[in-house]
Amino acid sequence: MAQRLEMDPVSGRAPLVLGATSFDELTKAVAAPMERTDWRKWWVAFGVSVSLLGLLLVSVSWLVWEGIGIWGLNNPVGWGWAIVNFVFWVGIGHAGTLISAILFLFRQSWRTSINRSAEAMTIFAVMCALIFPGIHVGRIWMAYYLFPIPNQMSMWPNFRSPLLWDVFAVSTYFTVSLLFWFVGLIPDLATMRDRATTKARKIGYGIFSLGWRGSHRHWQHYEIAYLILAGLATPLVLSVHTIVSFDFAVSQLPGWHTTIFPPYFVAGAIFSGFGMVLTLLIPARVIFDLEHIITVKHLENMAKIILLTGSLVGYSYAMEFFIAWYSGNPNESFAFVNRMFGPYAWAYWIMVSCNVITPQLIWFRRVRQSPLILFILSIFVNIGMWFERFVITVTSLANDFLPSSWGYFRPTIWDLTTFLGSFGLFFTMFCLFVRFLPLVALAEVKSVQPEADPHYDPEAGGVARGDLEGATLAAPEVTHA
Amino acid sequence: MSHGHAPRTVAAEDVIIPSGHALAKLPLIAAVVGLIGIGASFALMGDHPEQFYLSWLTNFAFFLSFGLGGLWFVIVQHVTRAGWSIVVRRAAENLMVTLPVFALLFIPVIMGMEHLYHWVHPEEGDVVLQGKLGYLNTTFFLGRAAFYFIGWALFALFFYAKSVRQDESKAAQISRTLRGVAPVAIVFFALTLTFGAFDWFMSLDPHWFSTIFGVYYFAGTTVATFALLALSAMVLQRGGLLKGVVTTEHYHDLGKYLFAFNVFWTYIAFSQYFLIWYANIPEETMWYMYRMEGTWLYVSAFLALGHFVIPFFYLMSRHIKRNRKTLAIGALWMLMMHWVDMYWVIQPPLAHHHGGHGASLSVLDLTTFIGIGGIFLAVYAWRMRSKALVPVGDPRLAESLAFENL
Repeated sequence: MAQRLEMDPVSGRAPLVLGATSFDELTKAVAAPMERTDWRKWWVAFGVSVSLLGLLLVSVSWLVWEGIGIWGLNNPVGWGWAIVNFVFWVGIGHAGTLISAILFLFRQSWRTSINRSAEAMTIFAVMCALIFPGIHVGRIWMAYYLFPIPNQMSMWPNFRSPLLWDVFAVSTYFTVSLLFWFVGLIPDLATMRDRATTKARKIGYGIFSLGWRGSHRHWQHYEIAYLILAGLATPLVLSVHTIVSFDFAVSQLPGWHTTIFPPYFVAGAIFSGFGMVLTLLIPARVIFDLEHIITVKHLENMAKIILLTGSLVGYSYAMEFFIAWYSGNPNESFAFVNRMFGPYAWAYWIMVSCNVITPQLIWFRRVRQSPLILFILSIFVNIGMWFERFVITVTSLANDFLPSSWGYFRPTIWDLTTFLGSFGLFFTMFCLFVRFLPLVALAEVKSVQPEADPHYDPEAGGVARGDLEGATLAAPEVTHA
Repeated sequence: MSHGHAPRTVAAEDVIIPSGHALAKLPLIAAVVGLIGIGASFALMGDHPEQFYLSWLTNFAFFLSFGLGGLWFVIVQHVTRAGWSIVVRRAAENLMVTLPVFALLFIPVIMGMEHLYHWVHPEEGDVVLQGKLGYLNTTFFLGRAAFYFIGWALFALFFYAKSVRQDESKAAQISRTLRGVAPVAIVFFALTLTFGAFDWFMSLDPHWFSTIFGVYYFAGTTVATFALLALSAMVLQRGGLLKGVVTTEHYHDLGKYLFAFNVFWTYIAFSQYFLIWYANIPEETMWYMYRMEGTWLYVSAFLALGHFVIPFFYLMSRHIKRNRKTLAIGALWMLMMHWVDMYWVIQPPLAHHHGGHGASLSVLDLTTFIGIGGIFLAVYAWRMRSKALVPVGDPRLAESLAFENL
């Protein structure tokens, strides 16, 4: 095993899929979660998820009936858990787009084992996110006023408000992510169609595989569409969370208004998203026997991205702190000292511990290569990033410019149940996804196998890239072929 | 080996500048021109040294970008274990070993502190500035500068020395060592570049502050560095070197990075501008107000247009990135825009305080450009001449030589 984990390109790049797996074996391994039904652990997970989804339905129904007074909102904390949860879920989505689009442009072929499930996660996370602004409007039957729809009263949303830009940014993001995900799915859906043993499967997968027959012309169009969608999705990774950060940063509130917010939010979003990918995939790879496809190397690479983005978030905290002092603005300094030592200090220190301190363990190889420790770390990342949004939202609002209104913000049980319920929606969707769609991008994984190289030579030990041995400073007459 | 290509190797004549070559004389020529430039700048200083120091700092910021950008490029290639970039990594290594020289080129900034930095003598009633003296004071400022320069020099020389030792020994262990040190170097680099930018450029306007300012300077250095890396390879190839070593594929990737990091610069520049504009708090907006006074407005507009709009559409095309002539035009343009950026960051506030109401180029901008640029180029070209132009001992050189964009 230790030899298999060797990922040192100096002594040769390691295969991305472990074990000398043939294309046929890969197909069977990826199709198994959809074709077998005896996944006992899955049924447990699904049962828990659906129960939580029920909790969401109850909480939202009660909210619609009674109004947002059932939450712990007060004056001046008019934005409470709803915005915290919204930003939390939108942020989680970013890892999926980063893996599928940006790592694609960076030619990171290891992404192929994880991109499908990460993208699915993106779509489900954005669905969870969209619930919160939707129900926060109070009269949910008037939610269409979020969109600029012409009406006789000439009532328009405020086009200068980042909240309206959010509507456009998040809906664009959702649409492009869905298209990108679906385009990637087409060849694999065709595989499932061809393997179908029941009429329903054949028709279901058949409709969505859009008549894919795997001809060269199909592949050529597919590759072009994939590249274009990757190019379009890349700026969206940045724009969505940039606009989310504008929700806060365009204001004049100390702790919200600071110029580093856009890149800081984007880094935090990617950080939280990779945390959630690990949370989902570390159990999934065990439950569905995919440990040879989603290998420890994949987990290790993701852990490194968590370390990088966690450190970028730490950098942003440090800059905010330094500039709060350097600015000489007493309100600004107060906001940050208050975060550290004020009434919400407990939340602040949870945030720092989970986002900045514990990810530093990833510097150690042993931590990076232990799925169990990474799973625990990923839970910390999820917790830390939720608290980051809580700290930003609540501390700045609760202790604003008018000390007479400084109360202590307390959530109600309904805040909690709505938030827990959103996990129900998320995990229910993910559970259904792994049983109905291939959770590994099968065609893409095959394309990075040694066998996919036209010059693949099983006699030469299965290594196709034969011309990679060291170049030398050779005699002058030797030139390159 | 099994499929048509012979193992790729490099010939000595392609990667070593011969002693009679025109490029072998470049260090001496550049050094002489640079010294003349510095001499002329001091001679032109006259009774109003402010312009001298401003011009010096502008060009210091501009050329320091390449030293820092080179160091950043090298450590990032090690961290990410990048294969494609090995044939251009030596050029970046040659850039980063110019860093120690910038410690010397910083001396005129120290001489001019009284003229450049208002916080050296804050007024009595200026409570805000009085509050910052714990950070903005001469002793601490100089101590920090020494710390940055020593750290940069140590990291640059360490990575350089190991890399050229690998030319001879071909030891794969060196690649592993550098990969292990690189993450530590990144942490150091990020913090020192940020505070360097705060100290030298942001504190020109000591009341103003922006948390993103360090990232802003960093973004500019990356754009300039990718432009210079592409141009350096082209110059060497016109001189008959690096034939078939640096290929269209490498230029294409350098062009992609030039495009991508230029968008990154725009993103950072826009974030800073937009948030300050929107909140409209006087203590922040004044920084931009100076840059809209009189003819500065045109410089600002030109920066937005020339640093983003034009190169965004120009560099988007694959053909332009893969054609050397068109990529050279793009790279030269970006170098010019980075200079305009540094001019725009550094010169307006003092020009404002000294009664000027608009941008006007001074002859000192040109002489200090020649002076600092000459010294920088001399060191860069001297390193180029001294060792092979690509890291010939890197165990993955063949991977880089054979690299193709798919």
